[in-house]
Amino acid sequence: MNTHITQAGTKLLRALSRHSEIIMEAYIEGSIDEGKHSPQVLDNLQSLGLVWRPDAESDLRLRRVVRSFLEEGLSDERNRQVDANIGSALAKVRTLVAHYKEASNKHRFAEADSHLSDLTELTYGMIDSLKQGVRTLWSRIHKEFGYVASLDAKIRENQLAQSQVTDLLNQLEMFEFDKLAIDAGSNRDLRRLLIVTLQSNFSLVAKELSLVQARLIELLGRFREFQGRTQLLKGFQLHIEHNPSYTPANYTSHSRVPELFNQADNIIQPASVDINSPSLENDLALLVGKLKAVQHLKQFTRPELPQPVVVEEAEQVTLAEDEIKNAVEAYFCQIIDSGKRLSALDYYQANKLEYDTEVWLYQVIGGFEGLPEADKAYFEIEKSLKDHPIYSGNKIIEDVELWFS
Amino acid sequence: MITQQGQILESLLSGNFICRVNQEESFRYLKEPNNASKVEAQLNLLNRTLSTAAEGEVFFASYLTLGENERKVLEKQFKETTTNLIPLVEWLVLVQESTGSDSPLVQGSPIRLNELQSTIEDVPALSEQLAKISTYALFNSTSKTTDGQLKQVFKRLTELGYLVKPNPEKLIYIATGKVDYLYEVIRFIDDTEALSLTEQAESAMQQGSLL
Repeated sequence: MNTHITQAGTKLLRALSRHSEIIMEAYIEGSIDEGKHSPQVLDNLQSLGLVWRPDAESDLRLRRVVRSFLEEGLSDERNRQVDANIGSALAKVRTLVAHYKEASNKHRFAEADSHLSDLTELTYGMIDSLKQGVRTLWSRIHKEFGYVASLDAKIRENQLAQSQVTDLLNQLEMFEFDKLAIDAGSNRDLRRLLIVTLQSNFSLVAKELSLVQARLIELLGRFREFQGRTQLLKGFQLHIEHNPSYTPANYTSHSRVPELFNQADNIIQPASVDINSPSLENDLALLVGKLKAVQHLKQFTRPELPQPVVVEEAEQVTLAEDEIKNAVEAYFCQIIDSGKRLSALDYYQANKLEYDTEVWLYQVIGGFEGLPEADKAYFEIEKSLKDHPIYSGNKIIEDVELWFS
Repeated sequence: MITQQGQILESLLSGNFICRVNQEESFRYLKEPNNASKVEAQLNLLNRTLSTAAEGEVFFASYLTLGENERKVLEKQFKETTTNLIPLVEWLVLVQESTGSDSPLVQGSPIRLNELQSTIEDVPALSEQLAKISTYALFNSTSKTTDGQLKQVFKRLTELGYLVKPNPEKLIYIATGKVDYLYEVIRFIDDTEALSLTEQAESAMQQGSLL
């Protein structure tokens, strides 16, 4: 019989691996496109109990066991089912315990062994499914229900998870260890299985579940907070749309200003540099160095841009000499008016001019030389010269006389 | 070197908000009641006191007693806050809709500017919304491109302390506690003036789903 089971099992697993593509297609798509595969293969899969047809018109789908096997193996987040059917499992445990005790009492040890191994399998299976339930809950919490997009969906998923936790906790309540202890009696194997293993795992799962519950409630609180904020924003936007002239009341004019709106003005301005502080010398020198570097870079990175040349009248340059020029002109005019020979220095003293005498003489000579040739012919000039006391050949002009010719 | 306390004082007196995103060390320092009372004593000299908002998530300096001048400052500030409220709310909604995560921006939420930009560029309604937001006086953008508008908006928000850019070379921004403060301001106005904003949003959403 064992060889038979082994053979059948191997055959099943081979079929799974041979048709893995079809099975994965069915897992991902939900159903099998029958046109793409040969009917023989599909019949074979159906007879092996891997796929089934829910009703005559529908497509072939994966059997639940295969699907949950894959979900488990792939730790797929689509697996959100928590199997919490502890009640029936417990009833089965107690039945098997009764079978085992009866067989033992009648000394049918082979039968008793078989019952015990069934019982062991069932107990471990029960523990595994409880732990699996806790695991899937945790994985959903860690992803913060990221597999659904909207906040509302997250809240619904959270509520589903919470109801599953409640279910699991209710199921855990069905464990009556005193009854199990009575059932186990003084049998060592039974005590180990039902009391030690089951109880230690029970307390582990119960502890985990309370943590899960706390996290779920915390997450729900956060989702609700998010939802509240979103609604606040949207609500504010709507409110402004409906009442465009709306402005909040001026809370700062109340006698007690809400703390939220009591913000002190900034009073700190950036400090200034003390260039006389010797301790800062180094840093300041570095800063200055950087300034240069920046200028340097700027010149290189920014080529001269062509700039439009605006042709406009040059601004009239007003010279300080205007006054002195006018004085020179007046001097010339006086010579013309009087027709007499007049020394520049005499005119200077007579009119109490305020310029430096040297500047005055220079300007008079300049004024004479600057006249157009035709005008120049009307004047005669004579410079009273004196030799330089040290450097021969150099003359010093002491005075200028002009007359009208 | 300036001490932690000095740094905090400078920051508070410059009118900054301290939260765990923009100044984590200072924030933790202030969370210690002993340290907070030291800072408080120094602030008191300048007629200021340490205040918190958003469930203790932000610290800022407020006035201890209110005279004529202080009231004037507060009034001016309040006007600014309320005029900035609309552009800020619209921006928050825009970011929330563009990221598609359906969760609002809160302290610590990262915004990847590149991703945001490509989403906004792909959806005409969002780009229109951005164009509208960027012309508010608060952001004051004159750019015609989504790129320019977004950059200007984010630059202004960083200047105002709503965002920080932890790595200057990467275009990733993180929302600060000041965003949480903003929600609290809206909630406060909602509660005080009984605007029932949440109900308005809910009924609008229900009408939307019925349509």
